Amino acid sequence: MTQLDLGTPGGIMLALLPELLLTGWALLVLLVVAWRHRTAEDSRLAGWLSFAGVAVSAAGLAALWVNGATPAGLAQMVALDPFRYGADAVALIAAGGTILLSLGYLERESLLAPEYYPLVLLSTAGMLFLAGAEDLIVLFLGLEVMSVGVYVLAGYDRNNPASAEAALKYFLIGAFASGFLLYGIALVYGATGTTNLSLVGAQLAGRPLPLMAALGLGLLLIGLGFKVAAVPFHMWAPDVYDGSPTPVTGFMATGVKAAAFAALVRVLLEAFPSATSLWQPIVAGLAIASMVVGNLAALVQRSLKRMLAYSSIAHAGYLLTAVWAGTQAGAGAVLFYLLAYSLVTLAAFGFLSVFGRGGERDVSLDDIAGLARSRPWVAFGFSVCMFSLLGFPGTFGFMGKWYIISALAAERQYILPVILVLTSVVSAGYYLPVVMAMYMRPAPDSERYAGVRLAPAALGAIALAVAVVLLFGVWPGPLLDVAGQSALTLTQTGLPFAGP
Amino acid sequence: MTQFLQSIHYGEWILHALIVLPLLGVVPVLLGDPKSARRTALVVTTLELVLSLGLWWALVPGQAGLQLVANIPWIPSWGISYRVGIDGISLVMVLLTTVLMPLSVLASWHYISTRERGFYALMLTMLTALVGVFIALDLFLFYVYFELTLIPMYFIIGIWGGTNRVYAAIKFFVYTMTGSLLMLVAIVVLVWKVQAATGQLSFAYEHLLRNAGAAGSAAPWLFAAFALAFAIKVPIFPFHTWLPDAHVEAPTAGSVLLASVMLKIGTYGFLRFAVPFFPGVALSPAVSALMVTLAVIGVIYGALVALVQPDFKKLVAYSSVSHLGLVMLGIWGGTMQSVQGALIVMISHGLSTGALFLLIGMMYERRHTRLLEAYGGIARVVPVFSLLLTVVAFSSIGLPGLNGFVGEFLVLLGSITAFPRATVIATTVVIFAAGYLLWAIQRIIYNRLDDPENERFGDLTARELAVILPLVVGIVWIGLYPAPILRRMEPATRQYLEATAVTRTGPTTALGVLRHVVEEARR
Repeated sequence: MTQLDLGTPGGIMLALLPELLLTGWALLVLLVVAWRHRTAEDSRLAGWLSFAGVAVSAAGLAALWVNGATPAGLAQMVALDPFRYGADAVALIAAGGTILLSLGYLERESLLAPEYYPLVLLSTAGMLFLAGAEDLIVLFLGLEVMSVGVYVLAGYDRNNPASAEAALKYFLIGAFASGFLLYGIALVYGATGTTNLSLVGAQLAGRPLPLMAALGLGLLLIGLGFKVAAVPFHMWAPDVYDGSPTPVTGFMATGVKAAAFAALVRVLLEAFPSATSLWQPIVAGLAIASMVVGNLAALVQRSLKRMLAYSSIAHAGYLLTAVWAGTQAGAGAVLFYLLAYSLVTLAAFGFLSVFGRGGERDVSLDDIAGLARSRPWVAFGFSVCMFSLLGFPGTFGFMGKWYIISALAAERQYILPVILVLTSVVSAGYYLPVVMAMYMRPAPDSERYAGVRLAPAALGAIALAVAVVLLFGVWPGPLLDVAGQSALTLTQTGLPFAGP
Repeated sequence: MTQFLQSIHYGEWILHALIVLPLLGVVPVLLGDPKSARRTALVVTTLELVLSLGLWWALVPGQAGLQLVANIPWIPSWGISYRVGIDGISLVMVLLTTVLMPLSVLASWHYISTRERGFYALMLTMLTALVGVFIALDLFLFYVYFELTLIPMYFIIGIWGGTNRVYAAIKFFVYTMTGSLLMLVAIVVLVWKVQAATGQLSFAYEHLLRNAGAAGSAAPWLFAAFALAFAIKVPIFPFHTWLPDAHVEAPTAGSVLLASVMLKIGTYGFLRFAVPFFPGVALSPAVSALMVTLAVIGVIYGALVALVQPDFKKLVAYSSVSHLGLVMLGIWGGTMQSVQGALIVMISHGLSTGALFLLIGMMYERRHTRLLEAYGGIARVVPVFSLLLTVVAFSSIGLPGLNGFVGEFLVLLGSITAFPRATVIATTVVIFAAGYLLWAIQRIIYNRLDDPENERFGDLTARELAVILPLVVGIVWIGLYPAPILRRMEPATRQYLEATAVTRTGPTTALGVLRHVVEEARR
């Protein structure tokens, strides 16, 4: 246990080690690409440099985590607890995976401007701030840093009108959501006189919730609801996911979602533990709507990318049910499920980017018919992804769902789990056809998949993700303990501090 | 024999070996030559059979309770362990599985001619999952195996099935998954309720069985979830509609495993989990009446629909619905005879229906049709085949001296006191079965031999005889001398009856259950 005094410059620098390393490294990469930004080789260089940056930041994170860094006294501005470390780890995994997937993809699509990678790094830095924010202002800054990077990334395929449309849509809706969030912050500040989450929690404890704080909470939920793409704030997601370059879609569906969920959990559990009776019904409503709408809409999609977009809305719904629990187990389940979901989703989008094969067009079921005959391993990996998203035993996704159901059952909540499993059955209606197309339909011609090539980096990332999904599907014990421990401090903070 | 088994510490490793061996077999199957995959699979499944036979002696017959229990911590923070063990009921189910598996492999010898490696790898995975279902004593583990049986069967139907295979595969998968996911929720809820009452978070079967009373007012809901999962698997009318599709489209080996083993997971689930956990609900008059009514409807309905099937495979599929209705009646009959009878029907249905599907597969390989009208008069051409088909059909009908009779007789005898009217109606199963099967036999092997195709119908080869004869031996053995099997199942059955007997005469009435549910809902 190392205590860091967040009041001193040295302490706050140490507390922000992963963020600072990542930001500094991003600037460094920017500097390098200022000279080298012409050839495919330059793009590769920037990519690998950025990947190294993620690794360095992860090392910084590990240093904090292993030493069990905790704040001396009140955590100001930034949290120092295992929940932040866990959420940061998911965000860094998402970033690393996205970079590895992008290496081959950008070359194939001739998107050779290497500023792509610093943008990934910078928006990841935003995610780290967002996931670790102990103060509503830091939360907002982190959200904006993250979003601005992703807006640009969404429109990175300049020649593709769909990509430009995605960027514009994402930007407009994102700005709108930020407005809500900011207004919510202002109201909460007005009600409590502080923006520190723990202090807000202390202020609100033991008395009826002031109307202003309730309104602020509602607006915060709307703002974060947009970012996690929960129904009814999801309208942007399908178009944006569909139009963006595929690795960026993967990044949005995993990193952005993970960071936003971490912030949501922290806000609800630290600042509003006294208002559970207010936010639990709202969260439950959002969860049910997301599960139902996401799964039903995914059923009728023809393009696999859109299908995965709707499925990610459904998964946001599953995650919201875990948030609903509002307990240590619930928060642990959120982290655990986020990791399970992120690994699989990254791998799935990695596979999709391969099927796209140049000129980025819609990949439909017809485009993967009979894949298993000529590409058994690709088909196997993609099937594992589908079964994990479906939540089938033997995969990480099942353990995640089990954890969520367990957390809900412990709170004597039975309706949400039943809806969760029933909508999961619906999801079989769109995950299974993918498997069927690959295994049970004939390929149109034998040479069809000759061009399907996974770049070595992407292959490594996907293979690792699939292996981890299977490993944790069978043996989740250690990870489970980590997730459970991570959430422990979260539910303990909040109340012990007196108001200012 | 017992001494020999003890000298090699058989009981300590056998259950693990039965799980691991097929999985190890998957590796050479996948890496080897496609043509040798079937040989490897045959060797592995035969080895598994030989190993599993020792269980027959390793299980101490008179001893109640679960034996050979092994417990390995798996996910300690969730109270989940890898816990396996067997009693008389699991023993016969495991043996049924291991006996049928090499026969199914042998039956696929020529039938499966594309993507052999994948097929046999899935068959071996299936073997692990099926054995796992019957020996799992941790509810988490059971659920995992329960679901794992789906994937191999889904692919076996979907890839190597008939023309409508994709539809059948997804229907089978979604149906089963709907029930099982609700059961998943029920398992978690039950475990948390028990945890709240005892302070111990554990998915161990015995722990839950002892403390299932903690479910309290949630018991009807939990039972409903368990019952739905198993009812779909059995399948009980009206949840049976996936079955004819899956059976007809599946390749021979798939149909055999589906009918002979996978359907039994449902009845096994009722006997092992659903009823003993919630006897107060399951055996309350209202639920009993419902289940028995559905069982009898299944008996009659399955038989009537079987009567009019032009497709022999579909006919047998519907006859399964009919026979499994009888099993359900036996389970709810609640006497020693009826439950033992239900178990015997489970085994003998496994043997006879398995044999019927294998014979249908052989017919299909020769003529590429299963329509009854395409055949006729082949008794003159293929006497051996016709003889075996007749014997197997008689066993399915329930002719005294063959296995079908023993189980059916016991079920009807044991249930008559509890449900006289239902039992009398269910007795018609024998008449109906004689109707549809004898009629089918007549159309296939008698009648006029007017199709030249049928004159070229070749008789059974040595391989095919090797597939069928073991089953016929089992059919005759159980028919003439079922005592050894009954003796081994008796302690487990007695225990089941004792565990559920308390409430059998209890105060729970139909109205009481209903009132309870309403009150709960209002709260």
